[in-house]
Amino acid sequence: MFGLIGHSSSFAQAQEKARDLGLEEMAEADLLSWCSAPPQLLETFEVTSKTGKTIQGTYIDSCFVPEMLSRFKTATRKVQNAMELAQKNGINVTALGGFTSIIFENYDLSKFQQIRNTTLEWERFTTGNTHTAWVICQQVETEAPRLGIDLKRATVAVVGATGDIGSAVCRWLQRRGVGELLLVARRPQPLIDLQQSLGEGRILALEEALPEADVVVWVASLPQSLEIDTASLKKPCLMIDGGYPKNLDAKVAGHGVHVLKGGIVEFWQDIGWQMMEVAEMENPKRQLFACFAEAMLLEFEGIHTNFSWGRNNISLANMELIGEASLRHGFRAIGLGSARSSSDNSGLELAAA
Amino acid sequence: MATLEAPDLCAAAANLPDFTTEAYKDAYSRINAIVIEGEQEAHDNYISIGTLLPDQADELTKLARMELKHMKGFTACANNLGVTADMPFAKEFFSPLHGNFQKALAEGKVVTCLLIQAILIEAFAISAYHIYIPVADPFARKITEGVVKDEYTHLNYGEVWLKANLESCREELEQANRDNLPLIRRMLDQVANDAAVLHMDKEDLIEDFLIAYQEALTEIGFSTREIARMAAAALVG
Repeated sequence: MFGLIGHSSSFAQAQEKARDLGLEEMAEADLLSWCSAPPQLLETFEVTSKTGKTIQGTYIDSCFVPEMLSRFKTATRKVQNAMELAQKNGINVTALGGFTSIIFENYDLSKFQQIRNTTLEWERFTTGNTHTAWVICQQVETEAPRLGIDLKRATVAVVGATGDIGSAVCRWLQRRGVGELLLVARRPQPLIDLQQSLGEGRILALEEALPEADVVVWVASLPQSLEIDTASLKKPCLMIDGGYPKNLDAKVAGHGVHVLKGGIVEFWQDIGWQMMEVAEMENPKRQLFACFAEAMLLEFEGIHTNFSWGRNNISLANMELIGEASLRHGFRAIGLGSARSSSDNSGLELAAA
Repeated sequence: MATLEAPDLCAAAANLPDFTTEAYKDAYSRINAIVIEGEQEAHDNYISIGTLLPDQADELTKLARMELKHMKGFTACANNLGVTADMPFAKEFFSPLHGNFQKALAEGKVVTCLLIQAILIEAFAISAYHIYIPVADPFARKITEGVVKDEYTHLNYGEVWLKANLESCREELEQANRDNLPLIRRMLDQVANDAAVLHMDKEDLIEDFLIAYQEALTEIGFSTREIARMAAAALVG
């Protein structure tokens, strides 16, 4: 059994979902009441790989909503309680989706292994970041040539380069060979460390990097206030929106700038679940976040270890391993053809980055 | 990735209240009284349930005796801090739930009695003790840690009986849930200010109670959807 821990993309959406499930009291309850709502195991379903292997999955809604981000105790409790629920249900490997992995890592929740009478077993959980990083790299490698961008000569900016996914993407693209890597992140020292470990890459501020880039990989969340001067961007320019939430398409719409939702995969056949409908996927029966897919892949492969865990632990070998498994079991990264149009932006998205 | 301001949770967790202040002792006089009264009620309730389930009377007497032992432990906690428990407050606090239990007992409704005592009150106690332990004074902490283990046994007793009889008692359970869960919610609200002085958050108390309650309903055999529906009543204050 694999598990997925997710959450609604907004309080309003959570209320709507509660109403759909027949939970009128919860639909009517205010945000404060939701702060005390325990996690819910909402769905169990089967997934069959292209190889024919069938596994069971479970979706747990943490009852977290992004409006709770400013309440760190509430946010952490939601994540910890959802993890406890997953473990108590005997789930072998559970992916932390959306803000839950971000909360876990930023608040350093690995220091808190004891939840009431349960000792969390880290090997039962994954951030799913290895698969996300691999999928983003696939999207770069597949979609850039389709736009006439020759990666061997292209300038690729990685925004959020020092993070877990960002640094893995840099290492993968370096090995593959791209024209030049531009490294963008907020804090200077980790950038210098990354540059040294890569032995290449130019450190630039965001506004300097963007006009130079043929490809931009975003794995940092965009501040609402961020303004991008679309006129200064190269044409064509491929932008992979791998951050969470995915809200890049509204900022740099159209005219030679192609925005692709990063880290989203499509399964080879329909999955009998309802949960991805609230994630506003174009094809919710087949499309899902790559981090969720990682939990499925680990269960298909019988890899019950904490595969993606801790900052900057993503290795190229593990990316290859999960990438091969991804293809074998019937996932493929979504491309520009299946992305939504730039004008259709709904702001926050549910679940996983 | 979004970056969140990361407060030092370790420091926050280690932040114990000052057990010697008047404000602490004042709040403690009510919380401690609730706990003592709760254990006394539990004792009496298990003995009463034994009259409805004569073949289980011995087992229930054993559970009841444990509750009296807990009561003595918590009385010692008050003495240790030099606090006198406000028992009249606690009696009043429990009176609506007490009334519902007595009514069910008079009508011979064993399912309702078990839901009130062995599920709701035990889940309430377990969640409150879990939240209290990290912020308790060292003396009370040791005692509460011992008690919480026993309370799981009691919760388990109720779960096992109700599970075995689920099909015949489902309707009564759902009605008892509707009648009594809002009372528990009101009790949690009533105690929130005093609990905050003891560094116990209302949000934590409610969520942890609901987790314990939902786990019990899962054990009894309700589906996840049914449980979510049953528990939702407690969220609206």
